[in-house]
Amino acid sequence: MDDSYIYAIVALLPLAAVMLTVQVNPYNALVMRGILGAIAALVYAVLGAADVALTEALVGTMLAITLYAVAVRSSLVMRIGVLKDELSQTNDSHPFTQLIANLRTIASKYYLRLELLPYPDPQSLDQALMEKEVHATCIERSQLDIQDAAQKSEPQPYHTAIRIRRLYNILQTELTSPATHLTYIPVPDSGEKH
Amino acid sequence: MNVILIAMILALLIPIYEVWQDDDIWQKILAFSSIASKTSVMILVVSVLRGDWMIGVVGVIILSVGEAGLMLLAHIIKRTNEQ
Repeated sequence: MDDSYIYAIVALLPLAAVMLTVQVNPYNALVMRGILGAIAALVYAVLGAADVALTEALVGTMLAITLYAVAVRSSLVMRIGVLKDELSQTNDSHPFTQLIANLRTIASKYYLRLELLPYPDPQSLDQALMEKEVHATCIERSQLDIQDAAQKSEPQPYHTAIRIRRLYNILQTELTSPATHLTYIPVPDSGEKH
Repeated sequence: MNVILIAMILALLIPIYEVWQDDDIWQKILAFSSIASKTSVMILVVSVLRGDWMIGVVGVIILSVGEAGLMLLAHIIKRTNEQ
């Protein structure tokens, strides 16, 4: 039997599987899953199972990848509520832009996406945190309590409230920007909204 | 027949090595498209050499559908990077 090439083709399948399992970044793992699906379809077709190969190509490389990409994209996100007029800052040396750049670096280290949601005033920001629309809020301290407005020159002009313990721990150890003060605010489960 | 297919398997190892050692997501997608086309062409070669047209039809379908899935994946990742 001169089918020794079949052994070489089948050996590609565990190779691709091992490469998939050692991936850390979820997007890279998705691409690897597509490669695994393509190689598996090749193996099935060469072994004579044309129907299995067709199913693997349709489901494994197209449907599963697309669904998982949408799921990873929508779940690996960190939403921060900010005030509307803060977002209009374009000056690079402003402490707010530096703080957001710092947060973005930390988020990309954990493969998270940083999303900034603008809110009109501090009350609606607080409301959004309590109703779990955002994971954290970042606000200037002078907006919080008016009597402290004189202390604008203090080293931590921003106040960041986080409602997720794990995010708080990550930011506490990794945040290098001195511009913000971090607090952890546990939000009780309302039991009806998820 | 064996020599042709062994050469194709060796050519398939090049993008597999590339996807393993490169961390850029677009390089990985390029390698993925290369692997997807190479595997379906290998299926076509095997089907022609064996004279089995059932496998040949499957190879053609995988060749066309694989590119469509690749375009979907690339588009979603592009939207993610834009923010």
